[in-house]
Amino acid sequence: MSRTTNHADGDIVRDLLSVADLLEEPQLARLYSYLADEDGATVQDVMDELELAQGTAYSYVNRLVDAGVIKVTQDEQPRQYAAREIDLTVTTAAGDRGYTITPVLIDAVGRRETNDDIDTYIDRHGVDGLATALTYAVARERGEVTHRLMAEDLTISPLAAEMILQALRAVVHDHYDIEEVGGSLNELDIDDTDSE
Amino acid sequence: MSRLHVADTGLFVAMGQPSNSRYQAVGRFARRNDTTFVLPERVYDELTANDPDVETLPVDASIDEGWTTVASPLEFSDPVVSRAMDGVQRYIANADDRPADEVERADAALAALAAQYLSAGAVTEVYIYTTDIAAGKGLKPYSRVRDTGTQ
Repeated sequence: MSRTTNHADGDIVRDLLSVADLLEEPQLARLYSYLADEDGATVQDVMDELELAQGTAYSYVNRLVDAGVIKVTQDEQPRQYAAREIDLTVTTAAGDRGYTITPVLIDAVGRRETNDDIDTYIDRHGVDGLATALTYAVARERGEVTHRLMAEDLTISPLAAEMILQALRAVVHDHYDIEEVGGSLNELDIDDTDSE
Repeated sequence: MSRLHVADTGLFVAMGQPSNSRYQAVGRFARRNDTTFVLPERVYDELTANDPDVETLPVDASIDEGWTTVASPLEFSDPVVSRAMDGVQRYIANADDRPADEVERADAALAALAAQYLSAGAVTEVYIYTTDIAAGKGLKPYSRVRDTGTQ
């Protein structure tokens, strides 16, 4: 995926590069998403929440500070960090499509490490493809579109559409206030085993 | 049989592979309650279509295990069946603001199958398991709808 921008402004180019790092490293994306959810967090909080070793946590936090996507909110020890807002529109190399990098997209990318379906989809369709899938996932949770209509629009199989929509469902509900309807498979007793 | 359980693609995607605890829980639930999930042909075709990007789902395994079956072809000569098809296609088209004839017919087939069984007096209740809220709402006049969300 290439990224271009019409702005010659150095700040924007720097922002774009730092955000590009976020999208390419799911661990950094997860850290950014965690800080975006919290008012302020310490490196100790980051270590506990993301299960990172101390050295790794400091290294990631420093990289995000240097990149300008998070900031120090309290300079006294222990230092507190918080996410800066990111909202950048990126144009693909072909120039025919654009997508916006938002906290919800960064969160979705950050989950590729723990979600095979998101990982496969990004490999196949790129981050811009995932951004498109995310808009369908939001619309589907709102009852405005079905997995079959998405499949038809994007010329992918309905099965592939259903898989990414289910994979993105948790992301959508974490970021958007959409009422959840219906039941859940989790109402079944998953841990129960056949006694017969 | 007084109850028909119709499954959409989303149920099988949510269950995953036979090693997944959700797959096992649904299979156990079906056996204990003497329940068989019925798949409209179009849904079966969708689930078993060859897509190199997607891991094949164990639909045939659940059929072999006896708790899933594929429905026989819909009886379009029954006016209730074609009315149900048209009604659901119109509902989804309206929700998404596109022409009804562009809406894939698998969603509508869920309702048509329900309508066919009810109209024949073969069952008194139908449960439809779908993850598409738009399809679920469109199906409501024809059945009791369960959303099989994955949360």
